[in-house]
Amino acid sequence: MDAGGTQKGAPMKNDPLIHRRRLKAGRYFANNWQLYVMMLVPLVYFLLFKYVPMFGNILAFRRFRPLTGPFGVRWEGLRYFNQFLSQPDFWRAFRNTLTLAAMNLVINFPIPIMFAILLNELRSLKFKKLVQTVSYMPRFVSTVVVISILTEMLSPSSGMLNRLIQQLTGQPGVFYMNEAAYFRPLYILTDMWQYTGWSAIIYLAAITGINGDLFEAGRIDGASRVQLIWYVTLPTILPTIMVMFILRVGHLLSLGFEKVLLMYTPSNSVVSDIIDTYVYRMSIAATAPQYSYATAIGLFSGVIGLILVSSSNLLSRKLTGESIY
Amino acid sequence: MNKKPRIKDNNLLLDALIWVIMIFVLVACVVPFLYIIAMSFSSSRAILNNRVSLWPVEFSTEAYRQVFAYPNFFNAYGNTLFYTFFGTLIALCMMLVFAYPLSKTRLKGQGIVMKLVVFSMFFGGGLVPNYLLISSLRMTGTVFAILLPFAINQFNLIILINFIRSIPEELEEAARIDGMNYFGILVRIIVPLSTAALATVGLYTAVFFWNDWFYSLIYLRSTQYPVMLLLRNIVNGTTMVGEAGGVGEKAFIAIAIKSAVIITSTLPIILLYPFLQKYFVKGMLIGAVKG
Amino acid sequence: MKKLVSLLLAILMVLGLAPLALMEEPIAISLYYSDNATLPFRQDWPVIQQLEKQYNVKLNFEPIPMADYGTKAGLALSTGENTPDVMLYLSTGGAYASYALNGAIVPISDYAEWTPHFNARVEEMGLQQDVDLNRLSDGKLYFLPSLYDLPFYDGGLIMREDYLKAKGFEPPKTFDDFYNIMKAYKEDFPDSYPLTSIVGLRVVQRMTMPSFGVSVGRNTGTGTGTLSWNYDTNEYFAGAISDEYKAYITFMAKLHAEGLLDPELEQDNASTAKKLATGAAMAVYGYYDQIGGWEQASEIEGLKLNMYPPLEGPGGAHHQPKSKTGGGLLFPIGVSKRADFEQVVRKLDEVFYSEEAAKLWCFGVEGDSYTMDGDKVVYNDTILGSADGIYKYMQNAYGTGCAGLQNVWYLENELTKYDENYARINADVAAMDNAIQYTVPVPSFDDITAEDASLLQTTLLDAFNVWDDEFRTGKKSIETDWDAFVQDMKDKGIEKFLELYNAHKKL
Repeated sequence: MDAGGTQKGAPMKNDPLIHRRRLKAGRYFANNWQLYVMMLVPLVYFLLFKYVPMFGNILAFRRFRPLTGPFGVRWEGLRYFNQFLSQPDFWRAFRNTLTLAAMNLVINFPIPIMFAILLNELRSLKFKKLVQTVSYMPRFVSTVVVISILTEMLSPSSGMLNRLIQQLTGQPGVFYMNEAAYFRPLYILTDMWQYTGWSAIIYLAAITGINGDLFEAGRIDGASRVQLIWYVTLPTILPTIMVMFILRVGHLLSLGFEKVLLMYTPSNSVVSDIIDTYVYRMSIAATAPQYSYATAIGLFSGVIGLILVSSSNLLSRKLTGESIY
Repeated sequence: MNKKPRIKDNNLLLDALIWVIMIFVLVACVVPFLYIIAMSFSSSRAILNNRVSLWPVEFSTEAYRQVFAYPNFFNAYGNTLFYTFFGTLIALCMMLVFAYPLSKTRLKGQGIVMKLVVFSMFFGGGLVPNYLLISSLRMTGTVFAILLPFAINQFNLIILINFIRSIPEELEEAARIDGMNYFGILVRIIVPLSTAALATVGLYTAVFFWNDWFYSLIYLRSTQYPVMLLLRNIVNGTTMVGEAGGVGEKAFIAIAIKSAVIITSTLPIILLYPFLQKYFVKGMLIGAVKG
Repeated sequence: MKKLVSLLLAILMVLGLAPLALMEEPIAISLYYSDNATLPFRQDWPVIQQLEKQYNVKLNFEPIPMADYGTKAGLALSTGENTPDVMLYLSTGGAYASYALNGAIVPISDYAEWTPHFNARVEEMGLQQDVDLNRLSDGKLYFLPSLYDLPFYDGGLIMREDYLKAKGFEPPKTFDDFYNIMKAYKEDFPDSYPLTSIVGLRVVQRMTMPSFGVSVGRNTGTGTGTLSWNYDTNEYFAGAISDEYKAYITFMAKLHAEGLLDPELEQDNASTAKKLATGAAMAVYGYYDQIGGWEQASEIEGLKLNMYPPLEGPGGAHHQPKSKTGGGLLFPIGVSKRADFEQVVRKLDEVFYSEEAAKLWCFGVEGDSYTMDGDKVVYNDTILGSADGIYKYMQNAYGTGCAGLQNVWYLENELTKYDENYARINADVAAMDNAIQYTVPVPSFDDITAEDASLLQTTLLDAFNVWDDEFRTGKKSIETDWDAFVQDMKDKGIEKFLELYNAHKKL
């Protein structure tokens, strides 16, 4: 236990300073050892399940052989990086990830803000409560259930939507879940359905925290409700919006992998194959798993993610004076 | 509550518009479930003739009878309950004993551990290193592959740490002076005072375990599959429930059976959610204060 | 007296118990099984019950949904963790060769003396050469394949015979005949899409492409996805960008454009049944044993389905190529660490390849599912009366005839489970000129080459599937976009891929 700090040089045995330090260290230890013992199990656990896999990323530079454990058998340098960088499939997945993420951000970032502002304008508290309760719920429904329901509703032969369209226009059913053109809209729509209410919570809290005097002053100046929203509500919650935006940009690459995987079909793969599904397809799901290759891609996208997070954090510190982490 | 004073200008148009939008939101949230409930309770004939929309037609519980008659369904449901209960229990214990020491900023080394925790939120081993780790720990094919690796969620941990920090220090100091050790303080003071935060974190964890299918797919044997994975397999056609396996007339109610499985697997969440809502929201806000 | 009685009793007891004491504990063996959604596995299938009793063995099956089977088996083999004693329905073609060469799979040919029943069946069926084609580059056999004495025509073009008769059509011989029939049907029922499929387009592809002299796409022909085999020159060619494929996809695009081909092909069995039952389709590429169920589901008076021999196209009349050996028993290396490894192998050899067991897997339990009338098999009345047909009914009720479980297939025995019509069709097909070609043995790559090949394979096949889809549905024009397609496949390395395969081919 080295609680007393590190020392330079060889200490003399009877140095009174060191003696005092030792005493202090001993007291510190006597006081706090239980806390360290407490931490021991979760810390070891934490290092095992979070940091060993992180170390396992060296497989990206080493050749994997069956039955020889997670760290590979032989250094291969950048072989696997060169391999995927020259793969059109990888670049397709890369483009798809960026496109889907950007579209999702542009559409699904502002909507919860608008939702929160409008919800706040509701005068019936009971109705407001009801809308809140109901709109938060989809967040807790499993992606499997969301996609299952979607598949049922959009089924070309028996789904509600296709039947409706058929009755109205006489057009034959469209296999939405299998058509590349509908993948992105459906992904974004289901995200909207699942998370709009939930993401609005934070903005609602920010709006609720606005000082009532501001509105009062605006009222006296003869501002209408729309003007109040524009000139009072929005500017006051702008810092929150900024922070949330930066946060979202930082996590740009982390799309809903499980959802994409559930929606993935060979026909829509042109747009639905994202980095995560590509990695999955090339490793776990492949009959010919390319573990090192897949790890290299995973590492590559992990590093990009890290760069995004830290630069957005830096940006946040510069712009809002607040760093998030 | 909202401190905004009542605004008296009668902008009826705006009010009407907001009402319309909010009603649309309500409908959009509820309709998918109504549709699936209607399908699950309708006769196969009605479904086949495309007569079902949002209300059961020719009310029938046949789909549920077939789902309940399918042994794998109960097995899977039991698995889900098992993972949810024990997974949450392990996670709570683990995070509690981690969060308490970490809540003490004066503790030497706390800063480094916190940095490790936060860093691991943004960077980690990908899919493959994680899989290879679990398998070299010989956990694949055992329930531990689901119960253990996900016990510490960094976001939840931070919620807990922040909450414990907000408990007045004096309470602890008084207990220390009375000679109580840290383990005693954790059990007798921290835990009773943190029930709200524990409930929040426990609920998030429980929802995670309830909804998981992917990790079960890659780590577990088919007899250990939870109900969400069963549902995924039914929907993508790799598993058939009840008599849908046979060809002929009975196959047509496959839609009803899928719907019944969707409803039965989501029901606990839909039923419990309204009562627990405040805990979920609380967690979101505590977590957001310092993400 | 009393003593004598008790002595006698004691002797009797000892004698009575002796056989029990001599009988060993059943040996427990764990197995991976690829579970088919339309034929859900049941541990209580009479065949399995009987085998366990007869051979004093405990078979712990782990049924894995078919779609996840490759994933699960691959994960277990590559990590060596959580492996069963044996995996069914696998071969060492493609990716699995790399597991074998890296020591993850038992080289079962090293233990040939432990598999006497398998050896006997191979000799009896004259399949030594076919089995040897499965040997890897080190000359060893890493799995016990399933064995077929003759290829059978169990699936193919199935069509509404009643419609043909009503309109006075002859059974189709060529794709042109087939086209005309569908055209007529479309005119009669404009809302219909005459040709549909089971499972997905790939079934249609693998059953029709050989008549065009090519076989590409998912699970077709060579197993490479984008290469095909030239049966005249015995070498691979780039099937995906060949004129043969161009002719094929032009035909398919025509079907699609004229509304003759169902646009929604990725579907479950129930949807196929529904389409045939309601007249929304009149032809399907599927399996003979499904006909009974489809007819039964029908709402149309007098609907009668029949199966037809392969149609003639520009490349002759061919069905999908078939091998006389198929996926079989693959032993992960972990099982060789079992103290009773030899017993396990011997037991499995008995359970899957012995003469009696082969009969069980085919006919079920004598006296239960069938009785012998001289040397003729007579099934019980429930089976004979089933609307699903003998084959399908027996699969579900008894566990016979399941791919992956039954490993010894005699055409003659299989024919007892079908009607005479089926036997006649099979005789017709057998009389045709090489209607069912052989499958090409997978080349024996070394480890590094295997890695390159499989990377190319995945990339090329994925891209091909997208192009194929767009050509068929008319999103891309075959006339104007063909060159771009060829260029794309070349950019993705189809020429290098072809070179790899031709350099390592076995024939």
